[in-house]
Amino acid sequence: MSREAYQVPSSVSGNQNAFSNDTGYGAMAIDSPSVVYLCGECSARVPVKKGDPIRCKDCGHRVLYKERTKRMVQFEAR
Amino acid sequence: MAPSATNTNWSVQYDTLRRENLFRNPPKDHTAYPSLAESIRPHVDSFNALFEDSKILAAGLKDIGIKTFLDGEPETPEQKKVRMAEGLRAPKRNRLNVRVKEVFLDKPQLPPTNKYSTTNREIYPSECRERHSTYRAKLRARLEFQVNNGDWMESMRELGNVPVMVRTNRCHLQNATPEELVRHKEESEELGGYFIVNGNEKLIRMLIVGKRNYPMSIIRGSFVKRGHTYTKFGVQIRSVRPDQTSQTNVLHYLSDGNVTFRFSWRKNEFLVPVMMILKALVETNDREIFEALVGAANSKGMKNTFVTDRVELLLRTYQAYGKHSKSDCRAHLGKCFRPVMGVSQDVPDEEVGTEFLRRIVLPHLGNYNVTETQDYDKFKMIIFMIRKLYSLVAGDSAPDNPDAVSNQEVLLGGFLYGMILKERIEEWLRSLGPIARDWSMRNSNAKFTDTAFERDFLSKIVRRSNENIGQALEYFLSTGNLVSPTGLDLQQTSGYTVMAEKINFYRFISHFRMIHRGSFFAQLKTTTVRKLLPESWGFLCPVHTPDGSPCGLLNHLAHKCLIATDNLDVSSLPRTLVQLGVKGESSVATEDSVTVQLDGRIVGFCSPEQARKIHDTLRYWKVSGKNNVPLGLEIGYIPNSNGGQYPGIYMFSQSARMYRPVKYLALDKTDFVGPFEQPYMEIACLESDLIAGLSTHIEFTPTNILSIVANMTPFSDYNQSPRNMYQCQMSKQTMGTPGTSIAHRTDNKLYRLQTGQTPVVRTPLYNAYGLDNFPNGMNAIVAIISYTGYDMDDAMIINKSSHERGFGHGTIYKTKVHSLAEKDRRKSRREVKKLFGFAPGDEVKAEVRNFIDDDGLPHVGIRVQEGDKIAAFHDVRYDAASDSYVNVDGITHFLKYKDAEAGYIESIRIMGNENGAEPMQSISVKYRIPRKPIIGDKFSSRHGQKGVCSQLWPAGDMPFSESGMQPDLIINPHAFPSRMTIAQMIESMAGKAGALHGHPQDCTPFQFSEENTATDYFGHQLKKAGYNYYGNEPLYSGITGREFAADIYMGVVYYQRLRHMVNDKFQVRTTGPVNALTGQPVKGRAKGGGIRVGEMERDSLIAHGAAFLLQDRLMNCSDSQLTWICRCCGSFISTQVAVSGSGSSRSRNTINPGALAAAAKAAPNQQAPGGASSAGGALGGVNGIVRCRRCARQATFTDSRAEAWEDGDGLRYVGGDDVTIVAVPGVLRFLDVELAAMGIRMKFKVDN
Repeated sequence: MSREAYQVPSSVSGNQNAFSNDTGYGAMAIDSPSVVYLCGECSARVPVKKGDPIRCKDCGHRVLYKERTKRMVQFEAR
Repeated sequence: MAPSATNTNWSVQYDTLRRENLFRNPPKDHTAYPSLAESIRPHVDSFNALFEDSKILAAGLKDIGIKTFLDGEPETPEQKKVRMAEGLRAPKRNRLNVRVKEVFLDKPQLPPTNKYSTTNREIYPSECRERHSTYRAKLRARLEFQVNNGDWMESMRELGNVPVMVRTNRCHLQNATPEELVRHKEESEELGGYFIVNGNEKLIRMLIVGKRNYPMSIIRGSFVKRGHTYTKFGVQIRSVRPDQTSQTNVLHYLSDGNVTFRFSWRKNEFLVPVMMILKALVETNDREIFEALVGAANSKGMKNTFVTDRVELLLRTYQAYGKHSKSDCRAHLGKCFRPVMGVSQDVPDEEVGTEFLRRIVLPHLGNYNVTETQDYDKFKMIIFMIRKLYSLVAGDSAPDNPDAVSNQEVLLGGFLYGMILKERIEEWLRSLGPIARDWSMRNSNAKFTDTAFERDFLSKIVRRSNENIGQALEYFLSTGNLVSPTGLDLQQTSGYTVMAEKINFYRFISHFRMIHRGSFFAQLKTTTVRKLLPESWGFLCPVHTPDGSPCGLLNHLAHKCLIATDNLDVSSLPRTLVQLGVKGESSVATEDSVTVQLDGRIVGFCSPEQARKIHDTLRYWKVSGKNNVPLGLEIGYIPNSNGGQYPGIYMFSQSARMYRPVKYLALDKTDFVGPFEQPYMEIACLESDLIAGLSTHIEFTPTNILSIVANMTPFSDYNQSPRNMYQCQMSKQTMGTPGTSIAHRTDNKLYRLQTGQTPVVRTPLYNAYGLDNFPNGMNAIVAIISYTGYDMDDAMIINKSSHERGFGHGTIYKTKVHSLAEKDRRKSRREVKKLFGFAPGDEVKAEVRNFIDDDGLPHVGIRVQEGDKIAAFHDVRYDAASDSYVNVDGITHFLKYKDAEAGYIESIRIMGNENGAEPMQSISVKYRIPRKPIIGDKFSSRHGQKGVCSQLWPAGDMPFSESGMQPDLIINPHAFPSRMTIAQMIESMAGKAGALHGHPQDCTPFQFSEENTATDYFGHQLKKAGYNYYGNEPLYSGITGREFAADIYMGVVYYQRLRHMVNDKFQVRTTGPVNALTGQPVKGRAKGGGIRVGEMERDSLIAHGAAFLLQDRLMNCSDSQLTWICRCCGSFISTQVAVSGSGSSRSRNTINPGALAAAAKAAPNQQAPGGASSAGGALGGVNGIVRCRRCARQATFTDSRAEAWEDGDGLRYVGGDDVTIVAVPGVLRFLDVELAAMGIRMKFKVDN
């Protein structure tokens, strides 16, 4: 079975396609933005929302890295 | 264009471009540093041997054999009597046979419950490190069972997940090229050899054990305690089965000349008369035994009356047993040992005796399917051991030294792992019996022949047993504790595993070369086991051992020492030996016949002259490869001597031996020698040591005796020897470069030197072991001068400008796991109760958002300080209706950064479950803590010369040379005279010359001599570069600008920064946490405690008359407290607060003004508007009246109201007003109370 044909059994899937019809989150989905992580294996960008299972949506790897912050990071050089 | 194979030859050169290329393009064929990979081979190969060709585990399964269980109840003696009277046959009990036919270990894979990973289901070591999990694979066993003589039925059982050693044949990276390793987030030179347990790298350290299959004469005082008439003499053999488990057999000499056979079985000791075992092994008679021991009737041995007398006695005393034939003896042994052998009850005694001989008596000579020849071998070996014992007692031969390497071998990690695995499997099989019986009882005494049995066996019986062998092995690896019913013939139960710390690469690699003598010897009061013996030459490094308590017990292998991990093919050797004249007949007289043994099997005997010739011939054949004599064979030829070691030829071909290469002069080829043969060989160290007609071998190079780390000390032959030991210690504590894959590592603490360099002065081995991939220090310009006074007592001054350019700059990486899941492992199904992130609807302060991102995790890259919030989480509950987690309370909780030192968030890993179905429950945060060198940090040269940075001296005030050069570092000349580290001075010169000429300097020890001195060699180089021949040069004071009166010795020395830094050590307090009971400061830096001012410190302060200092330390900064005491009765505990009520303010002022004045004086800091009365109030309750209950009497109505006071119960008293306030240590009051509880009163005399 190819990866595309494979159907993820759980309704709480990491698949982005499940976003639109996923009404189960209710109030929680409103103030839980999805944050993008990097897959530890294939470096894919993986959006994860609160309560989502931790795995890469592409390769299923189980370690995700948090991206370096986009804000300015400034320290006093001493 | 096919790229050429990666070059693996290294010289002393820098090879900068070549290394650069290796870094940029990791080789796609093989590693460029084969000697590095070679150094950890014993670990990897021993693990591989478990399942590979040598099939050690398969041999173990054969040794376990078939376990048989019976159904029904055993009949009691009464029942048997009744049955016999009735003449009935014994009731038939059904037999259940179980065995494990095969064991399989898979490679680490995702569990089938994970349905999300479709492309690659393999788990790699890096994932386990990152997820702080265990690198393990599924263990399966083919369990076979049979009822009575029915068909064998089989079932594959899953025995849990077993930790797997990295880069072995059960690891995905076994044959990975450097390029593949880098792709899998490993070091390009990843070596493996360790396990990953809970994210930690653990290895089983090598252990010294007695040499296998060699009977050792031992004189040990403790043997006398074995029993009546026992003497100190014994002959001991550590017999090793094909599965590498061992069984120690000992023959004891009794004072009457008798001999007993001792063994230990399942942690119990047993003694058997040796004659019984001899007679049980083969069908024999007394004459045969006599002649086997003494020799034929006409031989010289007959004249040895010492032996003949004793053998006669041996035979005579055995008559008492009345067991003569083989079957009689076996039946007797079987009857005696039936309870401990674990065989079923229907096996006849004789078979139990056979089983006993198979498993316990010299199992190396026949462990399963024992043939009669093998039994005869065992017989001959015991005969030989008796001979050796008598020879020891008579003083004809000397005892063997069990502390010498020649009588030792190595217990390898993989083999130990296999032993535990085998034992666990056996225990599991044994455990099936009671469960099957229990099943029978539950089902109203069902028989094994019932149809229900076959149905229930797997589902009800095997299922109920503990099949999780993986868990047991994981426990072993993570704790190092051996839980074993047999003890595995080992002397310790803990300390088998160590963490492979990657502080720097030297330390990491040393773990794999480390050999421990056994923790049993650490408690020994005698130091004989720690001695450096000449036998260790070339096998154990004489330099590389720690000082202090593990000194001499924790050794390291010499870098050229190898350890055999498989058995050689010696099948044709016995025939060759017979052709060389080895024959079967022998005599007890060693001048007539000496033994020839191969792996503890007696091949035959020959005359001493023949023995020497046989040895020489075999040696020649072995090196030349003729007649199938393998090169790795150890041919221990022990010549006849006057009271020396028992002579003979002892050959060893099996695994776990140490061996090392030397050059065989006759063929100019490499020969391998072992520790057993080495003492009797003529191996020259240098050309000059060769003796014509005597020397047979020569060392390739004298540095072969040193370990990898010891070889890195430059010119170590010029140092006083303890300094080289210190350097070995310190190089392992250096803040260096643990590896190049730091980004992928999640060690608890990782040290990293930012500005590592390759040393100018190094040995060729430095490159051969690829240590430039892991630089460990910096080249520093060092001036040896007493300047400023800040370099006294091993302090050193660092040039502030060097410091600013990054000299010694380092970083610490700390990884912390923040987990929301409860640590309760009892619950099988973990419930998600908390989630990272802000609770919906909760207001979040903007300042918190500076640290924490939307997902509740900190921003990567920010700086965090103590107390900063680094993660947010909230409670949730699973809502099945919406299939989501719902938060109800709307409260956000925070995790805080607890370290005192500020750090930066380097990276955050979100760790998923291996099933891929769990939400975020734990994160692993890596903090980076920059550590630039500061005053108090420790540095050292490579010569055991450590020092503490005392000043960062401004460059302008540093001395400078004629060319304007300034030292990076100043050390005091007093560091040298007493320590005699001449090599550091040579290194300084060599480094200077090397830097000036731009070439690396070879600092291999033993290359210079009195005639060709190092100073001359490097002096000329310096002269060529226009410098002073002796390495010193005129220097000018940085402060006055005037030239120093003396020329200063200045050169380039490689300096290491040690990991001991003040930031981890400083301990200061004035006030702080105190012990709840005593009120005294707690101890321990981590808790913010103090440093104890102990008795000696107190004595010294008294001697100096520093009374106020003492008062401050022992009272004010400790548990000083103000307390009421009664002057009259001198007691703390009888004082009490008088309750207000009747007492008037007038009475308070009249009654005890003195006490209140004292109280005010004692507590001046409690000054308040109320004056004296308020000070009393602070300690004396609401209205400040404290009275002594003991000195008071009950008030009568005649007493004035003004004088009476009232206690809590409303009783009224008069008197007891002579109380005052004193300052005492809190524990004094505590002591008083404790003593009072025991009925002891303390009375204090209060003056003034």
